[in-house]
Order: sequence, then C-alpha cells, then structure tokens
Amino acid sequence: MIKIEEKNHILDILRKVKEAVQKKDYVKIKDLSNKFVHHSSIHQDADVISVAVIIYSLSKMLERDDYKKEKNFSQFYSDYLKTISNMINALEKDDHKAFHNEIETNRKLLSKLSGNLKANMKDVLNRAKINKASKIYEHGISMGKTAKILGITLWELAEYTGRTKVGNVNLGVTMELRDRIKLAEEIFAK
Amino acid sequence: MKYLIFDAGPLINFSMNGLLDSLERLKADFNGEFLITKEVKAEIIDHPKTVKRFELGAIRLEELYNRGVFKLAKLNAEEVDELRRLRDNYMQQSNSMFKTKNKPVHLLDKGECAVLALSTIMKRKSGEDIPIVIDERTTRIIIENPGNLKKLMEKKLHTKIKANTKAYDLFKGFKIIRSTELAYIIHKKDLFKLKHPKAFEAIVYGLKFKGTSISEKEVQALAKM
Repeated sequence: MIKIEEKNHILDILRKVKEAVQKKDYVKIKDLSNKFVHHSSIHQDADVISVAVIIYSLSKMLERDDYKKEKNFSQFYSDYLKTISNMINALEKDDHKAFHNEIETNRKLLSKLSGNLKANMKDVLNRAKINKASKIYEHGISMGKTAKILGITLWELAEYTGRTKVGNVNLGVTMELRDRIKLAEEIFAK
Repeated sequence: MKYLIFDAGPLINFSMNGLLDSLERLKADFNGEFLITKEVKAEIIDHPKTVKRFELGAIRLEELYNRGVFKLAKLNAEEVDELRRLRDNYMQQSNSMFKTKNKPVHLLDKGECAVLALSTIMKRKSGEDIPIVIDERTTRIIIENPGNLKKLMEKKLHTKIKANTKAYDLFKGFKIIRSTELAYIIHKKDLFKLKHPKAFEAIVYGLKFKGTSISEKEVQALAKM
C-alpha cells in the first residue's frame, strides 16, 4: 500500500506528466520519470517502478517521429495516455487496486500490437527498464538487486551502466588502486 | 589448493569483451580453482541462453564451464545448507543495514550474498581468505567502506539514512578484486593475445564500459602500470 505522502508525490508527478504531454515536452517527461527513482530505490515498489518505466517510455514515443508513422500507433498512444489518466483518477480516489489494474492494462497494450510497432514499443519499454535500473544502481542498490526489481538481465544492466559515470563517483573508490593490485598479485603469486 | 570466487559481473564482462580465452590461460597458470555459485551460473549461462541477444556470450561461458575453467564449488549436503543459511543471513543483514523514513532499504540480492557465503565456507574449509572477483559497486562498498555507501545514498536520495553500524562487521574482511585487476595480472603474465602497445589500456576501458566500477583516474593509472 502506498502511503499518503508518497501517493501525493506520485499524483503530483503524473499530473505534471499530463501537462507535459499536451505541450509535447518529452524532455520534461523524461525528467519527471526520474522523480520516481528516489521512491523506487527506497521502497522498491513494483507498481511505482512500473509507472517510472511507463513515463520514460512515453517520453521516447514523443521524441521519435518514426514511430508516429506506424499503423495503429495513434490508437496505441491514445490508449496509453488513457491508462495514465486512469492512474491519476484511481489515486485521487485512493483506489490502489484500480491504480494497480491500470498499470496492468498499460502492460497489456503491447500484446494487442503486431509487426514493427510491437517490436519498436517492446524495445522502448525494455530500454526504459534498463534506464531506470541504471538510475537505481546509481542510487546505491546492488546490480543484482536492481536487475531483479526491473526484471532485466545483468548483461543488459552491465552494458548500460558501463556507459554511465557510476564508476567515477569518489565515494565508490574504497581502496587505493596500488593496494588492490598488490592483492591481485598476491592471489596469483606462485 | 587456492580458490578464487567469481561473481556474475566479471564473467559476463570478460565474455562481452571477447576475453574469455585469456581467462582460460590465466586459470591454467593459477595453482587452484575458479569457483562460482549456482546463482552465478544461472545468471551467466542458464538464463541468458534463453535470451537471443546474450545467447552467444552464454554459450561461450558454458564452454569454459564444461571444460572446468570455472566450476561450482564441491559442497556436501551440510555445506549446501550452511551456504543457504549464510546467504540468507548476509541478505537479511545487508537489507536492514540502512533505514530511511523507518523503512529498510534492500541493498543486495541472493546472487551477491551467495558469493559472500561461499567465500566464508571456503575460508573455513581451507583456513585462508578466499578472494572474490566482483565488478559491481554496492557489494564492494558494503565490504570495504559501508560508511561511504551511507553518504552516497544520502546524497543521491536527499534524505538522512540511519545505519545499523553493528551490521558493518559481518561484511568486513572479504578480499575483493575487479575484472580490471584480473586483466592487469593477465597483462603482466603476457597472457593476452593482443600485443598492440595500446591493447591493455583498451582492454581496461572495455571492461569499464561493460560494468566494472572503476574511475577514469584509476583506469589511466592502471594503464600506465
């Protein structure tokens, strides 16, 4: 169950997402999806993590013009936005079951698609998962735990996080390089 | 007999960078065994074999596994139970180490904790520290400086973290190296096939870009060593 202050936070973000959609401001939507990361790192709540993925995916759909040319995209996009509106309505009514059901409905939208659009949207959602996973890892949750929370493989996460600046954070340097090299040399000494 | 335990990350990393042959040569030069847990095997072979994008990497690792380059630790039934108990204890302790807003933050997963449990058991059996190769940052920081993880999380989450510092002790003492230090040893032993003067630096960058938590400064220093 989402607590009241968390509910208000999620609601606030979703309302801002709706505004940004009207302005087609995909950069803002992308930023807003990151607002779920703090909550997701602490609570690791599957529904909230799913919403972060849904919002990030939405930003990608708006960003790329080529998706819009695909047959059935308009209907998919309109259904997608409807689930977000319904999530807002559900949270306003404190109806957590309906909120959860809307996330499920959103997930099922993909199964109604076919051909290129299905493959493209599947790719968008998977990339969104990896992006959010990388952010959660940056926040200090282990790679294994993060991969499990988002339902992705360690292979995907390692590939993505390697391109981020996670390794450059000073607090992550916990031993002098020379000492770690010395340790490695001891391990492999004859 | 010497042992070196591998987490999933370094093996995935070596596979994605096409460096598994060098790992095999390193093993031949190592007077001991490279060990993995069943959780790691699932993450590097069993599961990715079902994902087209990673199937090739998983098959390459399976070949090495089948040739005994790395293997599951030989544990009797009692030791398997012990491993499970230790793994669950590491999970429980790490996942209640930090609290924010009265809520424990879950930090580690089964796979990482099973690696620590295996190291603990093998240390008891052999009487020596059993080092671990691990690329991901969180487990390493918990072991080497959990206070840093607290600071990092407070900074990232913009909130105060309450730490159960008593739990820190449980994780002290594990010996950790990363893929990059392993690559350094392979390089010094001249076991890489690539002989280009820039090859070692490129390999270290390759490992960083596939998940080793190492800073740019460390990479540059390592490349000059």
